Amino acid sequence: MSAPGLSISSLVVRYGGLVAVDDVSLTVPPGRVTGLIGPNGAGKTSLFNACSGLVRPTAGRIWLDGRDITSLPFARRPQLGLGRTFQRMELFDSLSVRQNVELGREGALAGSSAWRQLVARRSERALIAEAADEALATCGLRAYADLPAGALSTGNRRLVELARVLAGGFRLLLLDEPSSGLDDRESERFGAILTEVAHGRDIGILLVEHHMELVLQVCDYLYVLDFGRLLFEGTPDEAVASEVVRAAYLGTAA
Amino acid sequence: MRSVWWVSSLLPFIVVGLVSGSVYGLAAMGLVLTYKTTGVFNFAHGAVATGAAYLFFELQSRQGVPWPIALVLTVALIAGLGGPLMELVGRRLRQVPVATQVVATVGMLLAIQGIVVAIFGAAAMSFPAFLSTRTVRLPGVYVGVDQIVVFAVAALLAIALFVFFRRSRVGLSMQAVVDNPDLVGLGGNNPVRVRTIAWTIGLGTAALSGVLLGPSVGLNAPLLTLLVVQAFGAAAVGGFTSLPLVYAGGLLLGVLAAGVTKYGPGHQFLQGVPSSLPFVFLLGVMLLAPRRLAQRPVRARLPAVTPRPLPRWLRTGGPIAAIALAAAVPALVGSRLPLFSSGAAYVVLFVSLALLVRTSGQTSLCHAGFAAVGASSFSHLAHGAGLPWAVALLVAGLVAVPVGALVAVPAIRLSGLYLALATFGFGVLLQQLVYRTRFMFGRNGPLTVPRPSGLDGDVAFYYVVLTVAVLACVLVTVLTRQRLGRLLRALADSPLALGAQGVDVNVTRVIVFCVSAFLAAIAGALLAALSGSVDVAPFDPFRSLLYLAVLAVAGAGQLRAPVVAALLFAVLPAYLAGSNAVATYEPVAFGVGAIVVALVEGSRDEIVAVVRRGAERGRARLARGPAAARMVGAR
Amino acid sequence: MKPGLELRGVSAGYAGTTVLRDVSLTVPAGSVVALLGPNGAGKTTLLNVASGVLAADAGTVWLADADVTAEASYRRAARGLCHVPEGRGIFPSLTVRQNIALHVAPRDEQVAISLAVDAFPVLGRRLGQLAGTLSGGEQQMLALTAARVRRPEVVLLDEVSTGLAPQVIDEIFAFLASLAAAGASLLVVEQYVARALALADYVYILRNGGVAFVGEPAELTDESVFAAYLGTTTTVPVGA
Repeated sequence: MSAPGLSISSLVVRYGGLVAVDDVSLTVPPGRVTGLIGPNGAGKTSLFNACSGLVRPTAGRIWLDGRDITSLPFARRPQLGLGRTFQRMELFDSLSVRQNVELGREGALAGSSAWRQLVARRSERALIAEAADEALATCGLRAYADLPAGALSTGNRRLVELARVLAGGFRLLLLDEPSSGLDDRESERFGAILTEVAHGRDIGILLVEHHMELVLQVCDYLYVLDFGRLLFEGTPDEAVASEVVRAAYLGTAA
Repeated sequence: MRSVWWVSSLLPFIVVGLVSGSVYGLAAMGLVLTYKTTGVFNFAHGAVATGAAYLFFELQSRQGVPWPIALVLTVALIAGLGGPLMELVGRRLRQVPVATQVVATVGMLLAIQGIVVAIFGAAAMSFPAFLSTRTVRLPGVYVGVDQIVVFAVAALLAIALFVFFRRSRVGLSMQAVVDNPDLVGLGGNNPVRVRTIAWTIGLGTAALSGVLLGPSVGLNAPLLTLLVVQAFGAAAVGGFTSLPLVYAGGLLLGVLAAGVTKYGPGHQFLQGVPSSLPFVFLLGVMLLAPRRLAQRPVRARLPAVTPRPLPRWLRTGGPIAAIALAAAVPALVGSRLPLFSSGAAYVVLFVSLALLVRTSGQTSLCHAGFAAVGASSFSHLAHGAGLPWAVALLVAGLVAVPVGALVAVPAIRLSGLYLALATFGFGVLLQQLVYRTRFMFGRNGPLTVPRPSGLDGDVAFYYVVLTVAVLACVLVTVLTRQRLGRLLRALADSPLALGAQGVDVNVTRVIVFCVSAFLAAIAGALLAALSGSVDVAPFDPFRSLLYLAVLAVAGAGQLRAPVVAALLFAVLPAYLAGSNAVATYEPVAFGVGAIVVALVEGSRDEIVAVVRRGAERGRARLARGPAAARMVGAR
Repeated sequence: MKPGLELRGVSAGYAGTTVLRDVSLTVPAGSVVALLGPNGAGKTTLLNVASGVLAADAGTVWLADADVTAEASYRRAARGLCHVPEGRGIFPSLTVRQNIALHVAPRDEQVAISLAVDAFPVLGRRLGQLAGTLSGGEQQMLALTAARVRRPEVVLLDEVSTGLAPQVIDEIFAFLASLAAAGASLLVVEQYVARALALADYVYILRNGGVAFVGEPAELTDESVFAAYLGTTTTVPVGA
């Protein structure tokens, strides 16, 4: 498994008797937006949590840029280039937008060392400011930079979370329902940013999303989960045409 | 026949243990039932028991009311009035972060205990037995009638409570509220009524346990409160969930404590064990329990209220003016200077506490313990080992660092309420098991604590303390302006998000606990040096609760709040008439203040929601254009 | 038509997130309304606002002819509203019998239990068992008994078929049909669109917190439902 990007092979996540993810394999190459869709309870979030280390998989392996990260601790994975956002939006509400975004890079630099958590090197300051400036510009948040993140609208808060992982310089991003709570115009703008980031910066994105319009707009490749199993993979056009996908969503006999 | 002798010599202790354990168990059941049903953990449970014991004493002993009537009156009054009141308070507390909940119920504890002390005095009084103390002979042991009655009453009520909980309609609703409060409302049962009943029952068990324990403990407010805090340990045995296990936990703790009492006097170390057992259980269960217990349900946050930034001239000018004013204090206050010296020392303590609970969002209820470590180490180092004064001070601070790291261990596993309980338990353990060892205060009276030679006059020493206080402020300011400060503020908002950026948040937590313990220890050493000698009294674990309440009342600001807190706590009371009355009502005032602060925070969310709703209505009215009209037409 | 349940201009959301924007919806008395839409469209939020679990930020909620916007959920329940929530609407630490008993006054317990067992005979063999130990299908049946034993006038059903085996789903839909036949008004949120449409008199499709379609099932071809889900077209007609 030396392929760049994220590779998941035969992943199983089980809680007690419930099999949330059942033998799923998928790859998220750099430079692409890979979509992961499926009805409620299909196992998407469990798969995400296994990748980022919040849940320990029952079986299977997870590789990041050819390195086995299956059993690394939660904080180690971002240090290796795996960034994520949260469905419920985990922002630092009392900090300003700029500070939120800066913490994307600062966090990676602070890491696990007590000393590096205490003080920043002089050279790092410029690096952090530069990364934050760029991410704020990419997400169109410059005007809000000095407002507290808690005071922003949902749409802008989603963008702050995105800007934070962009500033983090991660090679691979896991985005968990980033458009929920956005209106049509906001999610379209969000999609445009995602496309630019993936294609322009060679970053791999795994997108869990319910908002199909956005999925079809930005994804280069789609995986469909149902009852924890991989039901379908292919391009968005193939997915729309697929009877299997239609059955999973509409419940007509498959 | 040796074994028979062993059993018969142990039996009296088992009897004593079962009697007190039965009462602990009942109190713990009430605590857990309230907590599970209302979502608010009542730190003041023990203080309610204390209040009840004194009320009963007043009615029965002083007013001559027959004891059964006095008992019913006491319990009915406290439970009947307290239940609905607590539901009103608790409803608002469910909206605030757990740390604020802790502040509110800790405030309640301080207020109740303070009122009791204000009315009845701080000195312990004997509590005349109201039940017959005649003994009867059971196989192998003499047992007092009062013991039998107390055990039986508590046991029967525990069973009744359990049956009520499992069988009655309201009990069913309580269990249902635990499972899913929304669903109870959907099912047509009024959750407010269910919670009010839960509060009433919880307060009733606390009140009853206070009256039942009173005769054997005597009227001693802190001791009674701490005894019912034993209920925390019993509650932990039941995993804060299972009522029968909670009661069994009470019995177990009672018997173990009594057993240790028997063997205690022979072993120096064992003497503190009986009263620390519940906390050993508490810490043990919480640290070893499955993750489920440790996890706090994620609560959606309302947008943070942003503090208005101060104007620039005030930000730089303020501290300079404050230092200038502080430097002029000796010329202004005359003989009251020592008050200000202690105020300056408390600035260090509150800076340390604020760093932990405000900046980084952790909870600590063991700051008095850190200060005690600092004070005693400083005496050993400066007086005992003869180290230079400043070096001894620094080293005394460093001694507390590993202690801080130790307290950070629960912080890694626990958050919110459980962290508060664990740190409080740690503080009590430190007091019970370590304070009296030769590593700390020993048993030979107060330790001598020197002032620096040549600077031992009141004025000179004031400047020494002030210098240390300023240095502490500078240290915290520098640290929090560095990367650490950003990480700590982020940690307070979302540890999950911080971890997702690659920060090992456990390291961050250890750092902040170590820094905080370091500063608190230095504060303890300064306070000790100020008075010249020091013993355990100023470092009672309940002091930690008081500190938290004072800081809550002191408002916002990383340095401003600690300075205000220190002035409120150490200086102001002496200026208000300087009489005993003020000192007596001081904890009451801080307790009430803490409750008010928490309630305002709880209601602020309501206000924000109302405002948001208003804005939404306005927007909807504006937006309701032709499209909406068509919808209505189509219907 | 007399409304059983009506929402007028409702906006609602959670902690800073607006989910529903100015939504109006009517469930005429005695009829079945299917509420469809992709995940995240706001269906569950709408039911929560209707039953009082969540307060509306704007708009009003009406039951029969009464404005219940300010009423707590237990009061709405007393007016004959029954909400079977998403997930499993049961109390897992209580027995099956206790779960059923909690829905009615103590004196009606026996009647309630026989009604529940009539509706789902399998529960009769499980009365003393803890609800948390039932199978997924049995738990859902237990949750649904509320809609029978409380004799509600309006029933809100949130994805009651999720994660269940096809035979169980058949049984549940037969139960829903019997509720409708007995005269209750139903508002049904359902993943299995085809089944929901077969039961419904009217259909609402929600998308991004707004109503994207109102009409009768016959007006919806399979293709246009799918389009509304996937958002491939925005030309779905608004209004019936």
